[in-house]
Parts: sequence; C-alpha cells; structure tokens
Amino acid sequence: MAQNNILTQNDIRVVDYKDVDLLKNFLNPHGRVLDRRKSGLTAKQQRAIEEAVKRARFMGLLPYIQK
Amino acid sequence: MTEKHSEEIISRVYEAGYHIVPSVKEEDVDQIVASIRAEIEKQGGSLIAEGAPSLMKLSYDMEQRVGEKLVGYDRGYFGWIKFEAGTHAAKALTDALNAHKQIFRSIVFKTIREDTRAKYKAPQLREVKRTDTLKAAPRKVESTDAGAPVSEADLEKALETLTAE
Repeated sequence: MAQNNILTQNDIRVVDYKDVDLLKNFLNPHGRVLDRRKSGLTAKQQRAIEEAVKRARFMGLLPYIQK
Repeated sequence: MTEKHSEEIISRVYEAGYHIVPSVKEEDVDQIVASIRAEIEKQGGSLIAEGAPSLMKLSYDMEQRVGEKLVGYDRGYFGWIKFEAGTHAAKALTDALNAHKQIFRSIVFKTIREDTRAKYKAPQLREVKRTDTLKAAPRKVESTDAGAPVSEADLEKALETLTAE
C-alpha cells in the first residue's frame, strides 16, 4: 500500500536536521517524536526523522522538552 | 576481533555544524569560519557547500566551560560546512571544533554530496493584526434583471391566473 505522508508526498529522500519546519510535523506539543502509527512513516523514514531530530536537539534547533 | 586497516585513504562526505559564541562581533565571524575552512584543508579535505553563520536563538540554554567558570548562551551564530575528506580528517576536525574557544557547540557527521535541504514549505496561517479591519467579501447579489420589461397587460393577465386559482 502506498504511504501517504509528508516525506513521500514531497519526495523527500534525505532528512536534514536543519529543516526544523519539516521536523516539527513529527513532534507532539511536548517536543517528543510521534510514533509510527501517528506519523504514518515507513520504518526507514521514521529512523531518518529520529536521527535528524536528535541532531537538531543537540544543536539547539529543537527543544528536548517543551513545557 | 581484529580489524584490518588498509593503507588507502577512504574519502567520505561529512557535514560540520557549529555555534559561534554571540559575543563575537559580526565582522569577526568570518575569521572563525576561515579558520574552520583552513583546518579542513590542512587535513586534505575539500569544501563542497557552506551555510554562512547567522545569529539565532537557541531552543534551550547551553553552557561552555571557560577556565573554571560555566558560561551560558541563549543564542549563537549557527553555520555549517559540507566537505569531503578522509576518515582521520573528520576526527581531527571534531577535536579542533571542540577545542575552539569561540565555538560552544559543534557536530560532525557523515552525509551525502547532494543537497539534503528539503524543498518543503510548511503551510502557514494568514497573519491578521489586531488593528486590521476585516472586510467581508461582497455578497453575490442575484441579478434582478428578468430580461425584457414586462408589459402592463401581460402582468395583469398573470395576476388574474394566479388569483383565479
């Protein structure tokens, strides 16, 4: 079944940690990464998003937690 | 388990991201970037792409040990450099960035040569200021023209048929 998520729709193969606006689509209001059921990503895409979010957090582009 | 180290140098594409301390003057930021570039070239690397540092607010406060004190930062000049170099160069650059006194946070990781920035634009809601006067779209008024004007005789005839029922 074809995946209907933001990455597939916009033909994004590589996720960059600097694309904060894109990454925010996969975070909940507390700043935590959405699980695959909610994000609708493939396993490979989910791993790419998780890695990019962790890099963005380390570099202060995204928060670790949001109150 | 033992690893066999081959003599040939494996060249890979890396990206380095860094935050320069905000106390540096904007004119002096270029000098720091030039020193990072020089470090890459000293290790035999070649530059591929670069993002000029710009002052940005951090999502959380960061601390850097300066002497015996911890100095906190809530903003920094964020920039990045993509380069191709051997595996030893990445390690050397990581150490150099960590040791740099005017860089308080850095990251070096493997990436690909192609541009990885997504051409994605987040859908945004239209911003309405409090002072803006909202104008309602003009209502569509149904045309009252009913073609040719009706003669008196026809009108009376139509009325008679209506009242007769």
